[in-house]
Amino acid sequence: MPEVEPLSSMGGEGRLELRQIGVSFGGVAAVRDVSLVFRPHVITGLVGPNGAGKTTLLNAISGFASVERGTIELDRSELTKLPAAQRAHYGVVRGFQTVRLLEGETAFDNILVGCERASQPNIFAQLFNLPAQRRSWRRDRGAAAEIAERLGISSVAHRPVAELPFATRRLVELARILVVRPKVLLLDEPAAGLNAHGRRQLTETLQAYHAVSPFTMIVIEHDVDLVRRMCSECVALAQGSVIATGDPGHVLDDPEVRRAYFGDQVHHA
Amino acid sequence: MGFGIFIVITALLPFVIGQYYLYVVTQVMIYAIATLGLDVLYGRTGQLSLAHASFFGIGAYVAALSNTFGVPVVLQPVLVLGLAVIVGALVAIPTLRLSGLRLALVTLLFGELFVWLIDHASNLTGGSQGMTVQPLTLGPFDSSEPLDGYALAAIASLLATVMCVQLGKTQYGRRMLAVRDSELASASVGIPIVRTKIAAFILSAILAGAAGWIYAYVVGFVSPTTFDLFGSVNFLVAVILGGSGRVLGAWCGALYIVLVPEVFSSIGYPNLFPIVGGAVMIVVAMTIPRGLVGSLEKLGETLWAVRGRRGRAGG
Ligand SMILES: Nc1ncnc2c1ncn2[C@@H]1O[C@H](COP(=O)(O)OP(=O)(O)OP(=O)(O)O)[C@@H](O)[C@H]1O
Ligand SMILES: [Mg+2]
Repeated sequence: MPEVEPLSSMGGEGRLELRQIGVSFGGVAAVRDVSLVFRPHVITGLVGPNGAGKTTLLNAISGFASVERGTIELDRSELTKLPAAQRAHYGVVRGFQTVRLLEGETAFDNILVGCERASQPNIFAQLFNLPAQRRSWRRDRGAAAEIAERLGISSVAHRPVAELPFATRRLVELARILVVRPKVLLLDEPAAGLNAHGRRQLTETLQAYHAVSPFTMIVIEHDVDLVRRMCSECVALAQGSVIATGDPGHVLDDPEVRRAYFGDQVHHA
Repeated sequence: MGFGIFIVITALLPFVIGQYYLYVVTQVMIYAIATLGLDVLYGRTGQLSLAHASFFGIGAYVAALSNTFGVPVVLQPVLVLGLAVIVGALVAIPTLRLSGLRLALVTLLFGELFVWLIDHASNLTGGSQGMTVQPLTLGPFDSSEPLDGYALAAIASLLATVMCVQLGKTQYGRRMLAVRDSELASASVGIPIVRTKIAAFILSAILAGAAGWIYAYVVGFVSPTTFDLFGSVNFLVAVILGGSGRVLGAWCGALYIVLVPEVFSSIGYPNLFPIVGGAVMIVVAMTIPRGLVGSLEKLGETLWAVRGRRGRAGG
């Protein structure tokens, strides 16, 4: 089996285009005929009521749900049929709604797990610690340390993640997917479960990181204020279809969005 | 530094202990190599295997049958390696989509098949009666000499340990832990799950095969009972008891599965080991899921944290 080549060198900025995506579960459509273009380096908020199909759409983009119809294209590469792990090599990386960490390991080792897009020596070089392995070991540790530093978790990097508070665990997970060097980062309710302070900290950290190392980002978020603060574009979904796109202020004030969003759900922003 | 201590102790031991104990230590080293192998597969990658003793057996029967077929000494390690890679991959493939109990059952099937093959090729292998293994000789080296066998096991176990420690510092080592803990998270960062599992199976088969090969030459006799289900369970006990995913844990586990039966034999109750061993296993699994080494590490961390807190007292 050939090693999957890191494709970061293939150029492209992270323009993601969905054409008429359809996903259904047992005949029930969860995402219908969604066509969207996510422009490079732009942070887009994905909003909509519970069950609107937001998570399913992220799953389709990241390869965790197979699409029935339509195509997914990143820059000039088609990803539609690729498994999730290969899409990560193209730079499409996701976080999870529930934090998934290696519980027995330290925060630093959890971050290192994400060093997958950088090319690595073969297994023999790795096991016998040949020079190529020593170089990549140094490079990976450097990358993980840098991300830990930028996310403000250096001081807990040596601690087992099981001992860390929830907000810090979120940041560790974020560090693990940022160390992949995503072109397109997909986050599913990253602020869920955090208190107001934690939310602010997370958004500021993420924005600061994005300002220095930009990438295309799609964030599912129920917190309307957070979307307004963080996103420069917004997409509203309802019952699997796009009902509005554009500027967050505009989308979130759209009457149809307000009806879909707040009509059947308590406003908890 | 740890390796330095290991080398010094290993070099001094033959001058300090008698031949019988040297033989026991040799066994511990051999079992440590195989246990390190299962630790790669189960401890690090989370793939439960009940075929580990069969891989140990493959190495052992390469040694035992080499005399019959006239395989030169230098070719034997290559043969063990080749067989471990091929059979390891063959066992890995049907298990890729399985986990937990189902995975264990498929590996168990392979283990039973191996014992069945040995039993039914009795004109070659002596069947369930077993067969004696002609010593390995190469120049002045003679594996039936206790000191020579000890040296062989010591060097091999040192190499295996160095390799497993190194594995922890590699991308493959990280992939294994990630696959064990969350296949979803692994896939999300681009870890090839299938390839990681196959690599773990093959690596564990190589270590078990190498250990089995040395075992046969040092003990001078092989029979299928060493390589049956009970043998595989024994390796699992060693990994779990010592502490999964830890090199030192594999050594502690090997110490346990070699020494404790020895103790029961010496007091005249060899049959007690499976019963007492089972009870110990249950107690360990229920009270210290991290295993011995993991628990000691945890204790160390706690003490360290308490000290740290005292040091920063007043905050
Ligand atoms: N694995 C699945 N099997 C069957 N149906 C599913 C599956 N995943 C999602 N669905 C259905 O698809 C629809 C969209 O679900 P999805 O999880 O994408 O919504 P969401 O917008 O993320 O909602 P929430 O805000 O609650 O997270 C729902 O009706 C849901 O029941
Ligand atoms: Mg969702």
